[in-house]
Amino acid sequence: MSASTVPDLPGDSELVESYLGGDQGSAAELVRRHSAAMGRFLYSAGAAPDDVDDLVQESLFRAFRALGGWRRTASFRSWLFSIAGNLLRDEFRRRKGRQVIALEDREIPDRADPHGELAASDMEERVRAGVSRLPRLQREVFLLRAHEGAGYDEIAAALGTTPGAARVHYHHAVKRLKELVR
Amino acid sequence: MTACERLSDRIPEVVRGRSRWTPEESAHLAGCPNCRAEWDLLVAVDRVAARAPAPRDPSALAATVLRRVADHRRSRLGSLGRWTVGVAAAAGIAAAVWTGVNRGNPASDPVAVAATVDIALPELEPMETAELDSLLEAMEAIPSPAPAGWSALGEPTLGDLDADELEQVLGTWEG
Ligand SMILES: [Zn+2]
Repeated sequence: MSASTVPDLPGDSELVESYLGGDQGSAAELVRRHSAAMGRFLYSAGAAPDDVDDLVQESLFRAFRALGGWRRTASFRSWLFSIAGNLLRDEFRRRKGRQVIALEDREIPDRADPHGELAASDMEERVRAGVSRLPRLQREVFLLRAHEGAGYDEIAAALGTTPGAARVHYHHAVKRLKELVR
Repeated sequence: MTACERLSDRIPEVVRGRSRWTPEESAHLAGCPNCRAEWDLLVAVDRVAARAPAPRDPSALAATVLRRVADHRRSRLGSLGRWTVGVAAAAGIAAAVWTGVNRGNPASDPVAVAATVDIALPELEPMETAELDSLLEAMEAIPSPAPAGWSALGEPTLGDLDADELEQVLGTWEG
């Protein structure tokens, strides 16, 4: 069997330990594994496309200088998402409450469009704007579940809440957002 | 748990292609506008994610991040160096003043006092990343407000000394 001849890839925890022991290559592998997902998370959460790269880089910088903060009760990726979420919240605040996503620059079609049709991209943009306007915990719980399929225990560990509260946040988010796709 | 709640729990994994609907679930989805709207929402979110800007080359990104972490660590070590020199200086000043009052006590030798608190920077060099990080984190955990004699930046200050004590310190420094 080929499976027995292919060595298992090291897990994130092993890579972190290896990096902390001085192996820079392990850090590069962690970046390779997670940076694209972080970009999708940040973009979906409302980061402007031009800002995504910088936000991913800053999130990774914050993560790598504080790796001791990863408690391993949540996955490394969920922990990275929580750091990226904090950064995005700071960015929202820095822009004095104005969402990073520039909805005012777009012509959002009237939902009561006589043709009864919305272009998929318009609906997606509407959803993205809706996600960016959710309260922070709702937004992060929703995206961790929608993007990563994370369970509520995992989400709770990553975001410092309880599984029950995470479930409630998710359902609140879904309730608000699904109005946008009806 | 209702049928809608059960379906809701399954939507993320089906949208992401990790699982498929059972015939019962498909029938529920076809007849339940609420679940259908949730499904459409998660499909839209999945499409949004697919439209995210293409990621930067991970190798270049990793190199940039690691360079920034190294720069950050270096600058914090620089602060640590200034901090330890500051500790030594402050201890020296305090001891010099104290010896001015208590002449003849060998334990108050400022050099000896300074030597007990100074950490030679070269000793930090062979530390592993984890050891350095925990040391630096410990340094950052110094309680605020700082003890008397320390400025907010952690640098020693002469502000606690009166004019006579300052004269004595200056005299010590100038020989
Ligand atoms: Zn239903």
